[in-house]
Amino acid sequence: MKRWNIYTPDGMQDILFDRCYVKRDLENKLRKLFLVSGYREVETPTVEFYDVFSGDQELIPQESMFKFTDQQGRILVLKPDMTIPVARIAATKIKDNIWPVKCFYIGNTFSYNELGGGKQKEFTQAGVEMLGVKSPEADAEVIALAVQALQLSGLEEFQIDIGQVDFFRGLMEESGLSPAETEEIRELIERKDFVGVEHLVNSHAIPYEIKDIVLNLPGYFGSKELIEELERRNITGKALKALEYLKEVLDILDDWGYGKYVSVDLGMVQSMNYYTGIVFRGFTYDVGFPVLSGGRYDNLISKFGKDCPATGFSLGVNMVLTALERRRKLPEEPAGGYFILYRREGRKKAFSITNKLKNDNIKTEIDISGMDIEMAKTYAKSKGLDKIIFVKNEEDIETIHV
Amino acid sequence: MRYLTMALSKGRLTDLSIELLEEAGIDCSELKKNTRKLILTDEKNRIRFFLAKPSDVPTYVEYGAADMGIVGRDTLLEEGRNLYEVLNLGFSACRMCVAGPKELEGNMDNLTITRVATKYPEIAKEYFRHKRRESVEIIKLNGSVELAPLVGLSEVIVDLVETGKTLKENGLVILDVIADISARMIVNRVSMKMESERIGRIIKNIRSCLEKRNV
Repeated sequence: MKRWNIYTPDGMQDILFDRCYVKRDLENKLRKLFLVSGYREVETPTVEFYDVFSGDQELIPQESMFKFTDQQGRILVLKPDMTIPVARIAATKIKDNIWPVKCFYIGNTFSYNELGGGKQKEFTQAGVEMLGVKSPEADAEVIALAVQALQLSGLEEFQIDIGQVDFFRGLMEESGLSPAETEEIRELIERKDFVGVEHLVNSHAIPYEIKDIVLNLPGYFGSKELIEELERRNITGKALKALEYLKEVLDILDDWGYGKYVSVDLGMVQSMNYYTGIVFRGFTYDVGFPVLSGGRYDNLISKFGKDCPATGFSLGVNMVLTALERRRKLPEEPAGGYFILYRREGRKKAFSITNKLKNDNIKTEIDISGMDIEMAKTYAKSKGLDKIIFVKNEEDIETIHV
Repeated sequence: MRYLTMALSKGRLTDLSIELLEEAGIDCSELKKNTRKLILTDEKNRIRFFLAKPSDVPTYVEYGAADMGIVGRDTLLEEGRNLYEVLNLGFSACRMCVAGPKELEGNMDNLTITRVATKYPEIAKEYFRHKRRESVEIIKLNGSVELAPLVGLSEVIVDLVETGKTLKENGLVILDVIADISARMIVNRVSMKMESERIGRIIKNIRSCLEKRNV
């Protein structure tokens, strides 16, 4: 029998010392940002019922989830997503009806991802959900928070692309295509497969104006002027309303000073089928995948029994760390601190010195293995401690710089 | 300025790709030299190139190790990667087909068990599962796929057909066309955003070269 006891499963990693320090540091910064913005933390179970993520409209593809069963044979999964459990909470646990409810989470999710480029099968997500309000201001606030989150992570060059799923939906409703054909076009647009879109659109009788816009949809990304240009065309109904909404969100972000971080991508028609309006993704150099993604999901919570609009985003902590690492911008654990060495006669004093320093929030370690000065120096250096205090007895105390 | 990295397919697409890139004003002289260097550069345009096995090109591009790439649509369909397919380069055109003995023409539905030999198991699976709604047995081969029905390894094959000469010489016929295949330009999803100006310009130049060719 082959023994696997010294290995970790594919896509699961030990995170040690420096790296763990950096990760926790980023998580703490994010937690502070979310708290100070009025969001409150929630923790949802690591294990949930499979039914939470499945349903008529498969929210998460079943082949991407880690599954097992409970004692009654019901199917359980390791949570593949943070937003859906929050939607479950919103529908079942929030009763006082004072809206908006703003919550955030920092936790691990699991998915059978293909590995590489910063992707793991277990990964940490940090994000916010704003429940109960549908307004351009709500969307703008969540996007602004995403910008702030990336800024404080230390990434300097990044970009957030904003799309509008309802624009595409509106166009498709007017085109007269079936849901299956719409889905096929959506996939082609998502891949920016101009060739495929053209082939499909031309094989159907669609009004000329809509046909022309759909054909060009994969290429509709860039600045805000794009929307103004489209508004001059003959667009009506849901699609026009969607554009106006998007423009309002962008105007708000301009006023708040975040205009330079955002751009428009109307060809962004997310595959995750719970998004209903504004959607966005964050990008940076040196990682080939988005570092954050989010959007409006007004119909998701109703799947759990309550109508409630919502929007939010989630940041891939591991992906951001990979980007920082590749740009050599990982922060370092601050050095400095004390190593306390003592003789039998100084034991009492040594302990009280150690405790005093620790109470002052200075990193301090006391010798527990009977080291001499040279050994102590080597050890202190390896731990980044820059001073040794040698307590010979109550009076004779010597400080040595390493 | 940051280098843009381009992954090119090693093999029959290499020379055709270089020819097109040169037409579009990209300096490939280092690429044409017979060198053992793995990464070659066009310093003026700040572009780096490397050659990779065709089936690896979409992987490099999806993970962002290359910003863009040139690869056959057959490889893209088989690999099913998450990336942008922005241009049909037109060359290396052929068709992905289901082929088999002449007797099967028009009555493929009568087979109770279909065994399919192919170099493209994903494409074959996808086609039989979704288009024909059939479960089939896929047998993965690495070359001379036409042999399989002749020696009774499989009933049909899924393979690229360029002229159809090999099929004909071995008494096989095309039973269905799965997709039209040709070389494509692909772009990483993030690079398309972060470098949209430079990549957009390259795409535009190549597109106008292609239009000139078609005139």
